[in-house]
Amino acid sequence: MDPWTYGNGERKINLSDRSPVDLDETPPRRAATGLDMVTVQRERTLVHGFLAVSGAIDRLNRSISRIAVWLVLIASLVSAFNAAFRYSIGTIVSLTDEGRAFPWLQTLLRWYGNNSNSFLEAQWYMFAALVLLGAGHTLKVNEHVRVDLFYGWVSERTRTWIDLFGAAFCLVPMCVVLIYFTWPWFLEAWANNETSQNAGGLVRWPVKLLLPVGFFLVLLQGISEIIKCIAALTTDYVREHAYEKPLQ
Amino acid sequence: MTELLKHNLAPLMFVGLIVGMGVGYPAAFSIAAIGLGFSLVGIELGLIRPDFMGNLTYQLYSVISNDLLLAIPFFTLMGAILERSGLAEDLLEGFGQLFGGLRGGLSYAVIIVGAVLGAITGTVAASVIAMGMIALPVMMKYGYSIRHATGVIAAAGTVTQLVPPSLVLVVLSDQLGKSVGDMYLGAIGPSFIQIGLFCVWVWIVTMIWPEAVPALPPEARTLRGWPLIWKCTKGMVPSLVLIFLVLGTIFMGLATPTEAGAMGVVGAIVLAWMNGRFSWPLMIQGMEVTMRITSMVVFILIGSRIFSLVFQGIGGKEWIEGMLTSLPGGQVGFLIFVNMFVFVLAFFLDFFEIAFIIIPLLAPAAEKLGIDLIWFGVLLGANMQTSFMHPPFGFALFYLRGIAPKEVKSSDIYWGAIPWVGLQLVLCAILILWPKSVTYFIDKPKQDGTKIEIQITPPSFGSGAPSFGTSGGNPFGAPQNSIPAPPPAPIIEPLKQQ
Repeated sequence: MDPWTYGNGERKINLSDRSPVDLDETPPRRAATGLDMVTVQRERTLVHGFLAVSGAIDRLNRSISRIAVWLVLIASLVSAFNAAFRYSIGTIVSLTDEGRAFPWLQTLLRWYGNNSNSFLEAQWYMFAALVLLGAGHTLKVNEHVRVDLFYGWVSERTRTWIDLFGAAFCLVPMCVVLIYFTWPWFLEAWANNETSQNAGGLVRWPVKLLLPVGFFLVLLQGISEIIKCIAALTTDYVREHAYEKPLQ
Repeated sequence: MTELLKHNLAPLMFVGLIVGMGVGYPAAFSIAAIGLGFSLVGIELGLIRPDFMGNLTYQLYSVISNDLLLAIPFFTLMGAILERSGLAEDLLEGFGQLFGGLRGGLSYAVIIVGAVLGAITGTVAASVIAMGMIALPVMMKYGYSIRHATGVIAAAGTVTQLVPPSLVLVVLSDQLGKSVGDMYLGAIGPSFIQIGLFCVWVWIVTMIWPEAVPALPPEARTLRGWPLIWKCTKGMVPSLVLIFLVLGTIFMGLATPTEAGAMGVVGAIVLAWMNGRFSWPLMIQGMEVTMRITSMVVFILIGSRIFSLVFQGIGGKEWIEGMLTSLPGGQVGFLIFVNMFVFVLAFFLDFFEIAFIIIPLLAPAAEKLGIDLIWFGVLLGANMQTSFMHPPFGFALFYLRGIAPKEVKSSDIYWGAIPWVGLQLVLCAILILWPKSVTYFIDKPKQDGTKIEIQITPPSFGSGAPSFGTSGGNPFGAPQNSIPAPPPAPIIEPLKQQ
């Protein structure tokens, strides 16, 4: 039995036909079973409370993913700039008349020369950030690809069970283990103020911090999904981003 | 009992992989969990040392610090922008009018435009959606058979997979440890063969079922003479500029594939803006899609790195190698087996799943049999095109379903795809029997064979001042303003892989 079933097995409380956000406004429809109001009320607040946590996690990951979305564009622009600047460097040098004209251009060249490694490293820092900060939200909108040979064929309820077990026994342990391995690594980089081997490179701790942070966000989202699965199994909560079978 | 388990842990883990992925929880997490679970068993049985798992951190770090994988968001974003930039419209209208008078002319136009779009972008979605939106209604209006029309659009869209710059080849070259530049050179021949095969098929259709591919009536061909030339030019010139910006810079050794992708993004934005199609909401939508796809893909890679680390630790590599190298028929036997295997897997798996999870298991065996990994990679790339085309889960069909008018039945899309899947298999057979078609374009006389070193030589400023990459000092050197001739300084070796 699932842990949420207390009272008789028939029980199905109808919280709301819609999303958890509506819970505040919608009065609970009275369950038609002979359950006493106190139990219904207690279950309602419990599910409601957990769904509120889940909603908060969703919103957190949504806002963090906005950073990741913009990093896509910024990373492209930085990388294109790096490449374009590098091939046009010869032209710029000749424009400066072998270093005798356009002092501001020379300053620019010198500045870029000092920082070029930072720009190159910034590319993959941003890549790491967009992947790791966006992963939680990607999980929320159910875009991590699945093999739907079996999954596409079973009922929505079985799918919810699969998602529940998958999150509890695959996703959560994976994230915990990976945080366990990556966190000390970040601490070490932080303590030693480790920087890149390349001249003018960037400090390393931010990118090493991204790993545990990213896995933590996925872990949180996993917990949020577990809550939604349990709510979907025990009440008539409907998961928003449920799997859609390809149209036949 | 323990002994038995010890000897069969690798096969068990492989079964675990199949079951774990088959259940349908997102592959990235299930394979990671299987890897971690089996690592506990492996440590318990003494097959791997506990501190072996410390390598995990380095594996993760190498995933996120991989410059080559940056090409994934860049090419995806470029495709998303191009899809809406109006380029496909211009090309299709121009070529459609140009070939429209021929029987099957619109099909030829779609194939050619598919090849041009393929040479600009690296993602299938962009080509299929852009062409399907424009060409499908026109083809239906003038009486093309629906099955033929959907098939040719889906197939021409998947050409993108093979025609450089293809994202599939970037990912495969990362997995096989070969340079992307060589992979692209190797794919040139097969791309031409494939486009040729498609055109021949359209010609055969015009011979056998002429009513399925009628010529456009004269009143439909409104453009003639100069307006037609102008229309074609308007499509081709930006295409050629973009092809130069992306492919040209890669082949000339000016940019890494990653940077070329980024330049392509900028080029696509400029083109969309010039065509009056640029808008921020669409741009942000494209960025969102890109972020999700990238994150999804990299998490599969993270999961599969965890899996492979443990799998290698418990001796899985030797087990797979032993099995695959003892197949009858040597190289050809192996290749036929692998191709059939990948073809079947492609019914269920996404190409990223195949590339990240399955290919690392196959590559060592291929290398041991003395198979040229570039040839192997291009062959697999050609094979994995079919994963976009198979009913019912092929992505190209799925995209086409999304944009096709109501009267197109899904069964039409599925039946229409079948001859083209057959043509793709013919291509695989040609590549197996005629390896020269891949290796011909790869220059042989190169130092130590395997990789192109893209050497970029920015001038070094100031006497004796070293390049950007070396430690210490101002790379622009001493304050004197004389600038000597650029010394040959190999600075950036972007394609270097482990």
